[in-house]
Amino acid sequence: MSKHAVLYACKYTPVELLAGFGASCELAELDAASFPDAERLGHANLCGYGKMLLERLLADDVHEVVLVSCCDVVKRVYDVLAEEGGLDFLYLLDLPHLRGPEEVALFRERLAALADAYAAYTGSQFDAGAALAAFEPRVTRTDERVTLLGAHATASLLDAVGVMGMPVENLTCTGPRTLAAPPTDLARIEGDGTCTLCEASERDGRPVLDRFLDWYAEALLDQMPCMRMDHVTERSQAVGGPGQLGIIYHTMRFCDYYGFEHAGLRELDRLPQTRIETDGTSQSAGQLRTRLEAFAETLAARRATGMLDASQGGAFMPGMGKAQKANRAAARTGDYVLGVDSGSTSTDAVVVNASGAMVGTAIVATGVRASEAARRAEAEALDAAGIGPDDVSLRVSTGYGRDSIEGMDVSITEITCHAAGAHALAPDARSVIDIGGQDSKVIHLDEDGSVLSFVMNDKCAAGTGRFLETMARTMEMPIDRFCQTGLGWRHEVSISSVCTVFAESEVVSLVAKDTPAADIIHGLNVSVATKTATLARRVGAEPPYLMTGGVARNAGVVSALSDALGEPVATHKDSQLCGALGAALLGLSRLRSTRAAAR
Amino acid sequence: MADTGRSAQVVGWFGRTLDRHIADSPDGVRRALLAGFALKRWQTRHLPSKGLLPSGQMAARLSLEHIVGALEHPDEMVVTSIFLPTEPFLAMGLRPVTAEALSQFVSGAWAEDGFARAAEDAGVPDTFCSYHRVLLGTAESGVMSAPPMVASCSVACDANNLTFSALQRIWGCSRSYVDVPYEPTPEACRYVAGQLRSCAKQAEETFGRALDEDLLREMCARSRETLEVARHSLAGRARRWLDNDMTTELYFALAEHLMLGTPEAHELYRTLDEEQASMRAFGGTSLLWVHMPPYHLVPFQQMLNESDDVQIACCDMGYDLVPFDGGWWFGDGDPWLSMAERLVRCSFNGPATRRVAQARELARLTGADAAVVFCHWGCKQTMGAAQLMREALEADGLPVLVIDGDGCMRSGCSAGQMSTRLTAFLEMVRTRSGREMGGIG
Repeated sequence: MSKHAVLYACKYTPVELLAGFGASCELAELDAASFPDAERLGHANLCGYGKMLLERLLADDVHEVVLVSCCDVVKRVYDVLAEEGGLDFLYLLDLPHLRGPEEVALFRERLAALADAYAAYTGSQFDAGAALAAFEPRVTRTDERVTLLGAHATASLLDAVGVMGMPVENLTCTGPRTLAAPPTDLARIEGDGTCTLCEASERDGRPVLDRFLDWYAEALLDQMPCMRMDHVTERSQAVGGPGQLGIIYHTMRFCDYYGFEHAGLRELDRLPQTRIETDGTSQSAGQLRTRLEAFAETLAARRATGMLDASQGGAFMPGMGKAQKANRAAARTGDYVLGVDSGSTSTDAVVVNASGAMVGTAIVATGVRASEAARRAEAEALDAAGIGPDDVSLRVSTGYGRDSIEGMDVSITEITCHAAGAHALAPDARSVIDIGGQDSKVIHLDEDGSVLSFVMNDKCAAGTGRFLETMARTMEMPIDRFCQTGLGWRHEVSISSVCTVFAESEVVSLVAKDTPAADIIHGLNVSVATKTATLARRVGAEPPYLMTGGVARNAGVVSALSDALGEPVATHKDSQLCGALGAALLGLSRLRSTRAAAR
Repeated sequence: MADTGRSAQVVGWFGRTLDRHIADSPDGVRRALLAGFALKRWQTRHLPSKGLLPSGQMAARLSLEHIVGALEHPDEMVVTSIFLPTEPFLAMGLRPVTAEALSQFVSGAWAEDGFARAAEDAGVPDTFCSYHRVLLGTAESGVMSAPPMVASCSVACDANNLTFSALQRIWGCSRSYVDVPYEPTPEACRYVAGQLRSCAKQAEETFGRALDEDLLREMCARSRETLEVARHSLAGRARRWLDNDMTTELYFALAEHLMLGTPEAHELYRTLDEEQASMRAFGGTSLLWVHMPPYHLVPFQQMLNESDDVQIACCDMGYDLVPFDGGWWFGDGDPWLSMAERLVRCSFNGPATRRVAQARELARLTGADAAVVFCHWGCKQTMGAAQLMREALEADGLPVLVIDGDGCMRSGCSAGQMSTRLTAFLEMVRTRSGREMGGIG
């Protein structure tokens, strides 16, 4: 770091002004798996960005910090830093919520006060040339790209977005600053100091800093507003520009501003978009990867056909070159395709023949090694189909463990696979509700079975099969008996908590009160159904509904979900195989395309 | 009384029934809710709770009259954020209600879950403050009639910035916003005064009513007198049995923010101040409560409402407008400056050190034995300041419990865990005070 390295957190930070006093400004960033000090000094339920800021700014190598009163959490970060001491220079700049002339004048005075404080601290004078040299030109992109919007993106999130293999434009709240270029007369200061403004300053004694601030305060406020500003209509300019292929909207747990914007944005259907939520840590990459790859598949299909077609699934295949895959596929002589869905609880395999009919299936427990479970599932499915490994022309993997399985030709996300599988099982279905062991998802389909949109639960077990497994364990019942017992309920019992840990505590209390087990289990089923119905409404799901995933075997949840949605929810005897079937069918489609192209 | 008897079962059934019909019959749910609130108002008028002192009974009645009256006359209603001064609206004969009051009433009918869900269905994050989430749910579901105007200020939290923009979009109504500078200075007061004038002007245009500035001046002068009485009443609480409950503290917080400037609010605080002198001495544990108490939580009701040994001495949200850092900067002559100064110098504005200082002073004046910092779900302002609050109050010799929960939604509280924590804390406080007095321990 230079002698005066200032760390900052917000795009409204007067980086150029501070540069005029010799500071080199750096956005405070830290990619961490957890924030122990921030949670000790603040609170666990502050947003991840605020906690990250605390961790970073409390580090020994940080001496100067300028924060902006941009949100509740950053204000409290300032309070904690002030209380902890240890920084040589700590300043909180008050940012107006409004941007009228009166607010610009107020902001200008606040910038002047910061300039005075920093000048007194550094002992330096304002150098207009250095300030102007710090301006970075505003670039409007028109290249083909995906735009990342919403809350601050950590380096690990940007890496995760990188798996899509497309250029990414980062317009999150800490993304590039978008100040207008200084006006010509001001910009001339940057040269040898003989500009007209400097001469004017010499004539009337009014400092150059004042003239700089006269322009700078408004320029700083006039950036594309962040969501904490009162008028945010200009933010619509971030959506729909030339070259923009789609929107990835990042919300951060406990940062409410961007959740609100996303709620409005999702009503726009002119651009493909997906929402990802993180807690600001470098964890949960697996779930993000699934969503981002599924989104990439959606975009790729749209680019290829102008609309999403499930048969285009697999166009994006990370980890393996296209030529390599085509060669492997062409080398095979059989007409069978294998789909393997590697889930957290079970690994499912389906073999389809050349006409797409299921000829062999298997469901095995995943256990602790996804690759071993996949090997067993494949062997069982081939055995059931009465064929050998060499009869399989293409192997397609999906599910969380899809990239851990050796010998697979193509990897496709479970979103696309579930859509294809569901369309095959129930061609009329317009919404697939999949509740598996680790996550739940709702996929909205068009009449051709193509993905219109999808949503997944966030990093929380509530509303998943794992939630029910945990509760079954608490009630000391095997899961099958747990499901069966729940059907005999008589009285409504409300499990009000949305948190697995709290709900477990509620169950313990109910057991202590001798509440019948069937009633408790029904209450848990309703809790899962309510959360899932909320997820379904978020994605604009519509009937007919098809439920897939392991929890589809729990008749109590299916019934509660029908009640919550006000529409029947169908299941299929093969619903647990939906992902594997979709993988096999998408593989078959790809095989046909490859062979047609070869001819 | 704790919510364990027959009446609680009836209200619980009522809430669950409403919950089921929010989507398919919003008009019916609105009528049912209003009927329920009107019944409660009748009770406060004719059968006030015998367990409360006259001031507590009056606080309940005034709150019910105010909120239910507004809901009965939506064409005169202004939905405001809790810290925005309401004298201009009251002077125009309008009916201001806050997000917190409306959500609290819905929660009182045990119907909060359905409205929170309606908001979440519309995309509102489930981490958002539940008072605001429930209010947004009433709007999104169509249960609450659209008022002609909403008005908010940036104090004290981000939720105000988001909720009222969303309400304007949902209801298609007029909206006014007052931006309060972070640093309390006379210049900031002048800036805010101008915005308050604009807000009132907008209300005049929206409702077609004229503001009587003389009446406004009179009300603002009364507001200061009322706050002075409130300040005086604090010292009278020390070591006195207050015979209050968590709901009473909520009603006082509503009175301080919604009705300030009215003769009724002044009479309420005067009654409180006078009756405290006749209260019996109290040797139990008095708590300073930071943020709103979870009035709905049965174990807390049993510990705080029904116990003769524990009481809430003061809730900081009911005394945030009383300045302890010197006298008023501006006289009574300019009502706009008077209101602006109150807002700018509110202890919830500016750095956490201001709210911490207010809490310390409240604890000192009321003779609190311990403090509970209640981290209401979604309130980053309180959560972020919790440890600072703990350190400062502990430095003053007060044991402090920092506890997470939800002041509005039952589902946001883990009753068993919270009960254990508060019980253990109170045991610790009693043991410690006994030891310090040379008693058992």
